Formats: sequence, C-alpha cells, structure tokens
Amino acid sequence: MDALTERDAWLILASAEGVGPETMGELLAAFGAASEVLAALQSASFDRWHERRRARVGRPLLGRGILQSLRGWPDLAPERLRQIEELGLWALTPLDEDFPAALRDLDPAPILLVGSGARDVLAGPRSIAVVGTRRPTAHGRWLTARICRRLVECGAVVVSGLAVGIDGAAHAATLDVAGRTVGIIGGGHRHPGPRAHAALRRDIVAGGGAIVSEYMPWVKPSKGTYPQRNRLIAAMAAATIVVEAPVRSGALITARHALELGRPVFVAPGRVGDWSTDGSLALLRETPARILAGIDELTEDLGLLGRPTPVAALNGSPAVTGDNAARERRSAALHLLTGAQRAVAELICSAPAGLDALVERTGLAPAAVSGAVTLLLMRGWIQPVGPAYLPAGPLLE
Amino acid sequence: MLATLVTAVVNGLRGELVRVEVDVAPGLPACRIVGLPDAALSEARERVRSAIRNAGFDYPASRITVNLAPADRKKSGAAYDLAIAVGILLASGQIRNGGGPWALLGELSLSGELRSLAGVLPMITTLARSGHRRVAVPGANHAEASLVEGVEAVALTGLDDAARLIAGPRGEVAARARRRTGVLVSSPRDRTSLRLAAPIEPVDLAEIRGQHHARWALEVAIAGGHNLLLVGPPGAGKTLLARSIPGLLPPLADDEALDVAVIESVAGMLRGADLSRRRPFRAPHHTSSYAALVGGGPQLLPGEATLAHRGVLFLDELAEFDRTALDALREPLEEGLITIARARGRVRYPARFQLVAAMNPCRCGHYGDPEQQCRCQHGEAERYVARVSGPFLDRIDLRVEMHRVPPAELLARNAGENSAEVGRRVAAARLLQQARSPGVANAALPGSRLDAVCAMAPPTRAVLTELAATARMSARGVHRVLRVARTIADLAGRPAVSDEDLLAAATLRQPPAAMAGPRAA
Repeated sequence: MDALTERDAWLILASAEGVGPETMGELLAAFGAASEVLAALQSASFDRWHERRRARVGRPLLGRGILQSLRGWPDLAPERLRQIEELGLWALTPLDEDFPAALRDLDPAPILLVGSGARDVLAGPRSIAVVGTRRPTAHGRWLTARICRRLVECGAVVVSGLAVGIDGAAHAATLDVAGRTVGIIGGGHRHPGPRAHAALRRDIVAGGGAIVSEYMPWVKPSKGTYPQRNRLIAAMAAATIVVEAPVRSGALITARHALELGRPVFVAPGRVGDWSTDGSLALLRETPARILAGIDELTEDLGLLGRPTPVAALNGSPAVTGDNAARERRSAALHLLTGAQRAVAELICSAPAGLDALVERTGLAPAAVSGAVTLLLMRGWIQPVGPAYLPAGPLLE
Repeated sequence: MLATLVTAVVNGLRGELVRVEVDVAPGLPACRIVGLPDAALSEARERVRSAIRNAGFDYPASRITVNLAPADRKKSGAAYDLAIAVGILLASGQIRNGGGPWALLGELSLSGELRSLAGVLPMITTLARSGHRRVAVPGANHAEASLVEGVEAVALTGLDDAARLIAGPRGEVAARARRRTGVLVSSPRDRTSLRLAAPIEPVDLAEIRGQHHARWALEVAIAGGHNLLLVGPPGAGKTLLARSIPGLLPPLADDEALDVAVIESVAGMLRGADLSRRRPFRAPHHTSSYAALVGGGPQLLPGEATLAHRGVLFLDELAEFDRTALDALREPLEEGLITIARARGRVRYPARFQLVAAMNPCRCGHYGDPEQQCRCQHGEAERYVARVSGPFLDRIDLRVEMHRVPPAELLARNAGENSAEVGRRVAAARLLQQARSPGVANAALPGSRLDAVCAMAPPTRAVLTELAATARMSARGVHRVLRVARTIADLAGRPAVSDEDLLAAATLRQPPAAMAGPRAA
C-alpha cells in the first residue's frame, strides 16, 4: 500500500465507475491528493466528509453502489486496470508528462485518457480537427479529402470523431496520403463506434495514429458521452474545420467548444438554402468562426505556410512536389486516354459530376460515357462518391 | 334413354376433354351427378333444373343420372351446365339430335341464359386437337373461340339456342320455347388477317427530360430482354420511365400471341375478336399477395408473373413487396416457369417475363439525395435495401441509380428522343438477335454460346479479364456482362463486341451506391 504512487492512486480513482472530471475535482479539493482520497476511503473519515457535504449541498456526491465499489478499491482496481492491458491499450493521466498539454485548457480537464496506437501523436502542436455531418453530400466528402490532403502536406495531424460521414472521410483521406490521424471515440474501447469503420480503425493505428477515449473500455457510448467527446476534439486541435453541418449536427457543438477555448474555427460555406450546410451558415452568422474560402487560403489562415513535406498520392503513384508537378502528372495521365475517356476525365477534374451531367456536358452517347467511367474507375483515376465521380490517383490536384 | 355429349374444362393452361353421359330412366324423380364432382358442380343440378324449366322445356320427373368421364378425375366449376342440360333434353326425348355432334361449353343461369366462361381458348384448342371441330360457346366467348384455327364456333345466348342447334334444321324444337334469337355461326378465321389490337396509350419517352443514363439503360434492357432495377428518390421519374416500356416493346410473334391469349383466357381477361400483338405489361401493386403474384388460390389460377409471360413485369416499390412472394419469383426468373403445388393438385404455368423493378434507396426515399436530407436512422437504409434478398438482386442484370432533375433544369432541357425512335433501334437490335439465335433474347443466351456470339478480338478479351479481376466478378458475373455488352453492340449494329461495349456493360451492372453495403468513409 505504501508503494502506491500518486499517479497509481489517480489512475485507480479515475478508472472507478461513476467518477468523472467533476467528482474527481471535488475529491481532490477536499483531500488534497488522490492517494489521500484512497486512504480516507479505508477509514471512516471519507464517510464523515461525505455526510457533511450531503448536509451542505443537499444531495450525495456518490451513490450508495458507487461508494461501495470505491471502498473496495484494493480488490477491484487491479482487475479494472488489467483490462486496459489485456486490450493492448494505454492509459494517460494529467500527472503523466506526455498527457496532451492542449487538453489542460479544458475546465474541467479530462482525468483519464485510454488509447491505442501512438501516444506521441497526441502531443503534436499541429493538430487540426476536421468535423462535419454523418450524412455528407458528395461535395462534402470531396472537400474533406482535399482539406485533409493539404493538412498532411503541411505536416498536420488530423483529429476527428470516427463517426460515419465527414469524420470517417477525414480519417480515410488522411490515411490515403499516409498522414497521421487521431480518432476520439465517444465510448470505451470495447464500443469503438460503427462496425463499418473496423478497417479504418485498424488503419489509423497502423498508420502511426491513435484512437483515444476518455472512458474505461467497458463504458457504452450514450447521448451524454458524444458531446463530451466533441469537447475533447475541440481541445485537442489547434484549430477546427467544419466541412458540412446541417442544423442539428454534432459538428456545431465541436465548433462552439473550440470557440469557447479561443481556438480558431473555419467553416466551409454552402449554398444558401441547402440543407447540408444550413448549420454551417448559422455558425458563420452567429459566431466569430471564419470562412474557409479555399484550400490555399485555409493554409494561409492556419499559419501552415511552406508545405514542407510532399506526400505520396493514392495508388502508389510517385510522390511529387507542388502544384506544377501534380499538374504535369495529370496531363501525362490524360494523354494516355482516348477521346471520349479524356473528355470525361477532364470534366471530372474540373468538378465532381454524375453520369447524367457527363452525358450532357460532353454531348457523348450514354454508352460511351459509361464505358469511359468504368475504365477510369478500373484504373483508379476516379472514385465514386455518392452520385458523382471525383478525380483520384494521378488526376488528383 | 341415354345421351352423350362432349365438353371440356381447363386445368392449369391445358384444356381437358370431358364426356357427359346422361341417362333418364323410369323411377323415383331424382338427379345424381357422378364422376367426382365438387360442391359447385353438384349445384349444377339446381341450375340445370331451373334453366330447363325457365327456357320453356319440361324437367323430366324421372331418375336422371349424369356421369362425367373420365370418372377418376376431380371436377369442379360450372362449365358442364350446358352439356348436362342439353343431355337431359336429349335423353328425355324433348329434342332429337339432328344437327350432328357439337361440343358444348357454358354455364347456365336460372333463366336459361348462358354465362361466359374463363379458359375457353385452351378448351377449344383441346377439343379441336381431339377432332371436335364444331363448338358452341356463350356469346361473350365467341371472339376468343374463333381464334382457334379450323374450328367452327357458334355463339349461343341461351339453352333454347342450344336446343335449336342440336336439333338441327329439320329438328323440332319444343313449341313452348319462348325466345327466338338468331344463331350466329362463324367460319374459321384466317389468322394472317389479324390486326394489331389498339394499344393503350403509354408514356412517350419524349416526356422524360434529362435522365440520359437511365433512358439508355432502359433501351438496353428492352433490346436484350435484361432485367432492370431503377433506384432513386421519389420524383426521380422511375415510374414514368417504366410506364414508357409498353411503347418500346416489339410486337408479339404469332405463336407468342397465342400463348399470351391462352393465359388471358384462363384468367378471364381475353377481350375482343383480335389476337393482341401487344406484349403484356403487368404492374401489380406492392401490396399484392403471394397468390396474386405467383398464382394460386382455390382455383390455382395464374398470377401476375404468368400474366406477364412474354412481356414485362414491373414491380414498383420493390422493397415493399412481400419478401416470400419476391423469393418465389426467383424460380420463374431462372426457369421461365412457375410450379404451384397445393393439396388440390399441381399446376405449371409459363412465366418467362422480363423484370423491371423500381425502389427508393431507403424508407424516406432521400438517402444520397443532394437536395433533401434523409430522415432515416443510421443503418436504416441498409436494412431497407436488405429487404430484397441477395439472390433475387443477383438475377437483375442492369442496376441504375436515378436522381431527381431540379424543376428549373427540367424546364430548360430539350425533350429527348421519342419512343418511336428508340423503339426502332430496339426492334433492329431484336432482329439481329433473332437472326443469330431464333427465339432467344440476349438475356437468355446460354453461357456456352456467349463466346461465339460475342466474337471478341484478343485485346477486347484482355479488357474483359482486367474488368473481371478489378471488379472481382464471378463466372456468372462475367457472363452477365457479356450478355449486356452483346446487346449494347447490337444496338450500335456492331457484329463484334468492342472494349467500349464491355466497359459500358460493366457500368450498368454495378450496384447502385446506395446498395454498395455499409456506408464506410
């Protein structure tokens, strides 16, 4: 018992059921240190304090069951902490040196981080959050991919929430250009979110990124935990980019947390009247959030000028530096195509387009357009996103 | 005295010959029908007695025995009424047979008038085949009866007409017969003189603006007989597009038209004197029951799948259909036949139809719609699509996503090609197919014939290999792409399948994005 360090005591307390940042804060204020709290739990002094507090506030701080399990910490805590190890996870407390400094700006700050993957990625100063709706449009996905690609080129780590939609698109786009990304989940690691993202979660960890939770592994995500998670995303990132947000999107909560923390927020505008961006427009109108006016403009506004590290493009095509090289690569690729295929590819490069739009704008027969689209898909030069096709591989800007 | 008459019934789509023997003998007045009659047939006694009396004849106060041969077969329905009644008149000596042998078909009303029957066409076909070439039918069935070659069909309005017909020109008809209606005698018709029955007005393709891809997919589908699935939000024009199909379908050939007429006859739907050349287009509502779709019910009647034989079965709101009923359609989609087995018996109906289906991408219909937000819960769209089973979807060659055209663009756009122009290309493509393999559309080409029929150059073969590898196609998938590519080449009038045809065919086979499985990033 004497060998218990303050960090161990903190971990035991923070991992207990029913103890969150608020409770932890109150306990520390009353007893001075986590080890003192644990010692008090072993004697009657904790109960005396708890009774006095109840008399003062009018309701108990801890329920009977939670109190019971807290008292049993010498038996229960080792089992709890072993679970973290068994799942191959690590735990971070604010007492650890590599606890992300940015999170200390939160009040109350998280008392525990449980994660998998690389820990050092959390400490990076260039972390940018990219968030948005769970039901993105084709344009939203396309824009997300372009933003993340540029962020990676500038050496930034992309932070997002691992939800379906823009979150997933941001993680995936970052991985596509071999970037590092942090996914913050709204429950414990045993409930890591959508099944459709199982492969994505593996890739994030394999790509030098991390998946982080504020909760012990067995905690199920609930209505309350997701907004809490959003506060972590906002705090972890130096800036937050909102790609597409309808009126009741969780991305708006993330943006408001970021603004409260004094972190810059950039919002991609949409057409007035579009359901997919009416939340984004409200954000621009009602808050000091700034507009995302273009990829280059965003880089400048974020202070990420210089673009130090060029990245390898999709499908293993060779890494290139700068816009000129990308343009050359694209025109070389276009030269390999026949007439109809090139016409289709050029149109897709200029703007995302679906089959009908391609038929209309090229004036070609639907059979010719369909053939060209299949060929480009097969080569990996375009990718389908919703009803439209976007450039990929060598055709990427 | 004993009288023997010939009539027929229908079982499935086949007519069956039945002999009616009537014996009127002294004894206690009674009427017995033997030969495995069912309840409806046993009631023929009452109908026949009233009809005989009300037509002005006497119902003999003797012992009447009616035998329906062959005796081992269960019999039902009211088609025997007329034969039984005339048999009683003959056997009781009220009329004498002077008009020669006639086969008699018809149900009697209590007043002695004749009611029309379902299935007269196959009945008469059977009668004709077994040598009974003179047939009397209810007036309403006369047109249908005269479709059969080499048959002399006579239309009757009531029992008195029948008596007059059987008694012949020299025969005496009981003086008390009240009504005197002319007997209409037709001569066998020349089938080449049949006109094309006037079609109902289908939607013209010119009314559909934009939707180039879907229009083209429809053209390919109709040209090659491929099954087609349209997926899109409400208002995208799925139903409108499908409603244009009747205007694109090529007319039925002679034998096909007769097949269709037999089915319509059994379903009691045959109208008009002309054999219709119009291909069936059936669009059952999505609340249709299992029996309505695949056939069945107490009479084992044909369902929509059979009524669409040689034509198009259009299932709007595919995901809303009863799942078991949809899965029951897998057999006809593959075999072109439906077998309905019930306690009562077993019937096989032809059901070689082309399936055209339309569905929303999710319950609210707006998944993937850039204009309107989808209101479904996460995962609900997948569950909605999963209502249609994988094996069922697998039998659909062409899958097309449709998107709504905004009203402003709708007005700005020029009208597309009209149905007549597209129909001409479709007809030309079908001609090419008929020349290559008569009676077989591209969609039904056997895998063994595909290589010879597609005549691909070696570089094109390489494209196919690459395509199959990238899309991880099964052998069956490759065959399907080849069939569709053959149709695309036929539409362009190309003798050999080119690279472009293959690639274009692959686009038409891709599952719509909404059905591509869970929505990962």
